[in-house]
Amino acid sequence: MGRVNPAAGRVGAMDDLTREFLIESQEGLDRMERCLTELEDKPQDKELLAEIFRSVHTIKGTTGFLAYKRLEKLAHAGENLLGLLRDGKMTANAEVITALLRLLDGLRELLKTIEAEGNEGNGDDSVLIGRIEELLAPAQSAKAKSAAAAPRAREATAVRAAAPAAEAEPAAAEPAHAPAAHSIAVAVQAPEPQEAVAEAAALTPAEATKARAQGGTAESTLRVDVALLNRMMNLVGELVLTRNQVLQATAADPNMTLLSRRLDMVTADLRESVMKARMQPVSNVFSKMPRLVRDLTHSLGRRARLIMEGQETELDKSLLEAIKDPLTHAVRNSLDHGIETPAVREAAGKDPEGTLRLRAAQEGSHVVIEISDDGAGIAPEKIRNKAIERGLLTPDRAAQLSERDLLQMIFLPGFSTAAQVTNVSGRGVGMDVVRTNVEKIGGKVEVDSRVGKGTTLRMRIPLTLAIIPALIVRSISQSFALPQGALSELVHIPPERAATAVEWMEGAPLYRLRGRLLPLVFLDQLLMPGRACKLSTERDNFIAVLDADGRRFGLIVDSLADPEEIVVKPLSVVLKDIGLFSGATVLGNADLALILDPGSIAVKTGVTMRSEEDAAQAVEDDSEAEAARMRYLLVEVAGRQAAVPLSDVLRIEQIPFSRIEYIGYRPVLNFEGQLLPVEDSGGILAAAQGNPETEIVVVVCRDGNRHVGIAVSHVLDVTSGANLFEAGTGARTEGVTLLNERVTSVINLGGVPPLPAMETAPEGWQQAAEVSA
Amino acid sequence: MSSSASALQRKQKNEAVVEVCSVRLGKTLFGVPIQHILEIIGSARPQPIPLAPGFVGGLVHYRGDVLTTVRLRYLLDLPPLEGPQDILVLESAGGCFGLLVDSVGEVLTVPAAAYEPNPSILDERRRGLLAGAYKLKDSLLVMLDPERLDPARLDPARPGAARAA
Repeated sequence: MGRVNPAAGRVGAMDDLTREFLIESQEGLDRMERCLTELEDKPQDKELLAEIFRSVHTIKGTTGFLAYKRLEKLAHAGENLLGLLRDGKMTANAEVITALLRLLDGLRELLKTIEAEGNEGNGDDSVLIGRIEELLAPAQSAKAKSAAAAPRAREATAVRAAAPAAEAEPAAAEPAHAPAAHSIAVAVQAPEPQEAVAEAAALTPAEATKARAQGGTAESTLRVDVALLNRMMNLVGELVLTRNQVLQATAADPNMTLLSRRLDMVTADLRESVMKARMQPVSNVFSKMPRLVRDLTHSLGRRARLIMEGQETELDKSLLEAIKDPLTHAVRNSLDHGIETPAVREAAGKDPEGTLRLRAAQEGSHVVIEISDDGAGIAPEKIRNKAIERGLLTPDRAAQLSERDLLQMIFLPGFSTAAQVTNVSGRGVGMDVVRTNVEKIGGKVEVDSRVGKGTTLRMRIPLTLAIIPALIVRSISQSFALPQGALSELVHIPPERAATAVEWMEGAPLYRLRGRLLPLVFLDQLLMPGRACKLSTERDNFIAVLDADGRRFGLIVDSLADPEEIVVKPLSVVLKDIGLFSGATVLGNADLALILDPGSIAVKTGVTMRSEEDAAQAVEDDSEAEAARMRYLLVEVAGRQAAVPLSDVLRIEQIPFSRIEYIGYRPVLNFEGQLLPVEDSGGILAAAQGNPETEIVVVVCRDGNRHVGIAVSHVLDVTSGANLFEAGTGARTEGVTLLNERVTSVINLGGVPPLPAMETAPEGWQQAAEVSA
Repeated sequence: MSSSASALQRKQKNEAVVEVCSVRLGKTLFGVPIQHILEIIGSARPQPIPLAPGFVGGLVHYRGDVLTTVRLRYLLDLPPLEGPQDILVLESAGGCFGLLVDSVGEVLTVPAAAYEPNPSILDERRRGLLAGAYKLKDSLLVMLDPERLDPARLDPARPGAARAA
């Protein structure tokens, strides 16, 4: 950890040994917590008990060495109890597990105090220890056992150095509190069997075999300071810029093409690797849930089984931190409002034990996290009545809304359908906090529920925050980056319409967007107060329609540049205080651009949260989006009409033929730094061969995780298509649709063969160089 | 402290030298201790920031980071200079920032004993920005302290005074 980051300065004051001890102990305790909740279901599981014992034992051994008396006493009491459990002299019933969880909390508290103050403080643990001794009392015969603990402690100190090997399980690589929060465990393929054996030697033979087995398969991990990773990310960003400049400078030199292509590839790979290094499995957050569920079910008198899926799904560390609270809220809600009491469930003919399912999965550039329960579900009627009662909806409006749209109202501030406020939830702050937190990191949340069957909450989280897609806009002769996440659409106002496009209501500029009034903000006037709010009648004007945390408005900019993936750089405090910019970035052309913060702009200009009307508008937009799923882009390919699902279309590029390159015989296009295969079923590229100036239209589409280009003659229209059903069988026909009353074939994007892998196509690359030469 | 020890200290102080990078601003020669300087960016044109406080000279790109620059001319009530300026990339406790100056000169080696703190007749604002001076043979080398010029610490309303906590 070469660079000491400011937040770690406090920790930096403490010696390395203590810091290491804190991080290891936190991890040990996290593991212990997981095992304890599991133990409840399998009280006889020897391996679990051994694992828990190991965690406490390691802490105890080290505390003796570092002279933390309180910690040692507490750990010692726990070790005694665990020793009995491990040796089968006691069974781990709910009472014992509760006591052990309390002990865990006590140990955590102490570690926190040590971290913050450098000493254990002078609290009293006698209650905790007394409780454990009470449990021990029936098994007094264990006295001799505890006497044997002293030599064992000495062993443990000798073993301490080997402890990292024991922490090596990837699932356990968990930064718990501040010291660990500044480091990320990076998986390195280097098992350390020797140390694992050394660790195992201090344990009973049964444990030893297990530990050895773990050491053999476990990946070794390395702690890396997050500041260092951020620095690496910065440098990679720098490299990307330099690459862009090299590519531009060498474009004309055929000898350099191959070299710069390689530079391009290596840079892209490097960027991906560094981003990956910041990724952590969601199990880091999920693992907190079993304890939460246990505590809540006990206090609420519910019975619930927790099922977790997709724990290995990875997410950027900072995002993982950010979803911790919303996830906790959602789980609380499910247990409090979702899953019914066992009696009610039995009366309804359900299993008295409810099921709470947490599922994480990656979908493209997002991670989807679902929290579903098989509880009572949310009755749309209840929401409708509540919304009317709270004045959030008029009865007329409420009658028009569909059930799905009504459900989304639970995310409005101050909305709770709980009949009674409990200490767990029901104060109406839960769901809107969930939404705000998720939207803050560029995610989306929606709810799905069926009465009597259960509720599913779905969060879509972007994979990373450090690099975000943004639209570059220009105003006052400067470039600004507008995060795509907040951008819902762009409206183009040509000079001839400029004079009439904006309507004024007592000084407030408004735009009629599909019959509704959209508040407008003039970016130039916002940035340079005193400028007149006026659209230019000499050039084009653009309105970026933004939706920031439910605040909807149009931002008027002078012109649009290309969308770019930007690397977000922090701004100094004094510039953050301006309250319009969330950061800065370096653009591909090496210009600097400030990143606009749509939320702050909305607040600053007085755009309020959407009222009922706007909410209804958003609902309409949603249904429009649904309709778009069945809309197609109609194109002409060599005289025939064909269709591409509009939802798959990313962009329509008009490019000179010279930009098409070849890998072997396969035409490819370098699109925003990615190579994409270009499908040329119509022979359009072949026809353009030898004429580099010919303009080619390429429709860039999304096909699962990859992008493909389709070369077309013209883009005709966007229309809605209906599915066709085969006469007689009624089976849906794939690949054709009815567009403008004509049966039109739908281009099969999946049918475009993937590009050959790098290793297998060196000749292809050579050829690519020659062609572009 | 015994008198012999303080004598020894004084002797060491007499012999100690400080390396200072000289900076020209208008007619005055300023100096920054070289250990605070990370890099010098010549003839830069920082990207202006709308609505930023007056002392902020814009953003510059420095090794993958985006740095805020401080206009020393503005802080010292000098008229703004047209055209590119030199930027000293300085490190303070709060991070890195750029200091816009007319031009960067050579590195001077000055005896530590030639140092004098800020004179009492200096106005309060300048006292907050400057850090004393070294007496050169025929002029003064006015010292700048990166800590006092850090944009995060300058009060947007009253540059020179420390930012209210």
